[in-house]
Amino acid sequence: MRRIAIGLIFPLAVIVLWELLGQTGVASEDGFSRPSLVIAALARGLADGTLLTQTGETFLSAAIGLFIATALAVAIGAVLGLFRTLERVTVLTVEALRPVPSVALIPVALLIFGFGQNMSVSVVAFACFWPVLILTIASVRGIDPRLIEVGRMMGFSLSMRIRKFALPAALPGIMVGFRIAAGIAIVVAVTVEIAANPQGLGYGMIIAQQSLHADLMWATLMWLGLIGWIANWGLLRLERRWLRWFWAQREA
Amino acid sequence: MTPVAGAPPVLAARGVSLAFGAPPAARTILADLSFEVPEREFVCVVGPSGCGKTTLLRVLAGLVPATAGEADFQGRRVTAPQPDIAIIFQDYGRALLPWRTVSGNITLAFEARGIPKSEHAQRGAPLLAKMRLTEHAHKFPAELSGGMQQRVQIARCLAQEPRVLLMDEPFGALDAITRQTMQDELARLCESEHRTVLFVTHDLEEAIYLGDRVIALAANPGRIVEIIDVDLSRPRHQLETREHPRFLQYRHRLFQHLGHE
Repeated sequence: MRRIAIGLIFPLAVIVLWELLGQTGVASEDGFSRPSLVIAALARGLADGTLLTQTGETFLSAAIGLFIATALAVAIGAVLGLFRTLERVTVLTVEALRPVPSVALIPVALLIFGFGQNMSVSVVAFACFWPVLILTIASVRGIDPRLIEVGRMMGFSLSMRIRKFALPAALPGIMVGFRIAAGIAIVVAVTVEIAANPQGLGYGMIIAQQSLHADLMWATLMWLGLIGWIANWGLLRLERRWLRWFWAQREA
Repeated sequence: MTPVAGAPPVLAARGVSLAFGAPPAARTILADLSFEVPEREFVCVVGPSGCGKTTLLRVLAGLVPATAGEADFQGRRVTAPQPDIAIIFQDYGRALLPWRTVSGNITLAFEARGIPKSEHAQRGAPLLAKMRLTEHAHKFPAELSGGMQQRVQIARCLAQEPRVLLMDEPFGALDAITRQTMQDELARLCESEHRTVLFVTHDLEEAIYLGDRVIALAANPGRIVEIIDVDLSRPRHQLETREHPRFLQYRHRLFQHLGHE
């Protein structure tokens, strides 16, 4: 409780200062609005449901894209991590595609999928694929060979050794990639909406901006920060539970 | 633990040789090793570090193919790992699955054997009790001491219901007191269940204390220099057995092979 209270001092001070600057006219209301107006706009947006609908659209795009990317990247990464030759064959392709900015794919995705969710999902999936892939390859390759030997001595087949030994052993590393990708997913989903796709929170911000509703624009931004923080907190909790063994090992 | 007369050996090395590298520059690790591990016998292999003890065990387990000669299990050549041959590694910390609890590590062996999940708890309980792990069943390996972790690995190998146990310096990483406790537990277990064991160690007293037979290896290349049949009564005792004149005599003989490296 104390730590939360201490952590709240700074943001509350900023809000008070912001309100004062707005009231006295130092900060222009056209751009900065005022915390009291922003909170009112946030309440209106939540009450009439527009903010929630937009949140659903943005987070659904981010979640589906993240899910597709993770499924593909873990499967492909496990294979590439286990078989060195395959990794050598694909390394150039991976290194060439990875630096492509995902935002640069928006025009391509627009032509292929048109407006709507599929387009957002495809760009998010492209962006999220790489961190999960790279970390899966690295963590599968880093598995202790002794564990795989234990699996062989017990008589497990190759596919069972992958399922029961390789993937769980690589899970902490894969989870790191997944959390990086989860952050990227929200950034990219909103970016696609701001740049092209007429849906979700990003589009809501563009509309607010174009209709000179600075209060709604700020309200959406704060809402986005709050939701992102909650999502990250939830993921961390999940990770702590799934990887209890990993933290036990780290602390030993 | 008297061997069954006339029974074929459970495990045998027949002229096992192993070399790494191409012929002119090849390094010979094992040179023409032959011996047998009869049913119900506890055979120890002792030798200085670098004599290829661990490599020999890996050949017998089917993890490494011999360059010449062969490892036989019940008269048939070992070409790949098989569940009838279990191996207990020295580095228990690396051999246990850190994401599975104690009981999860043990039931792994049941999963490998295709035993239905409903029977796992019932079959695992006696093993947990035998290895004094019952109250730790739901802990992760990292939450246990070294001795307990090694007991988990032994329990997991027993769950495999193998015909022969290969042990690679299983107590080498444990402190002296824990090691003695583990030696006595292992000896008691093997006596009561008539286990067939091949036990590798660099500690010659441990080899004499545990074994019905001790095979002494020399290094560079790894070769058999002596095989001693241990004539000491069981159950053995940490003080009385170790102070027995014959124990000291065996120790003296083995020391001459191993003492001068």
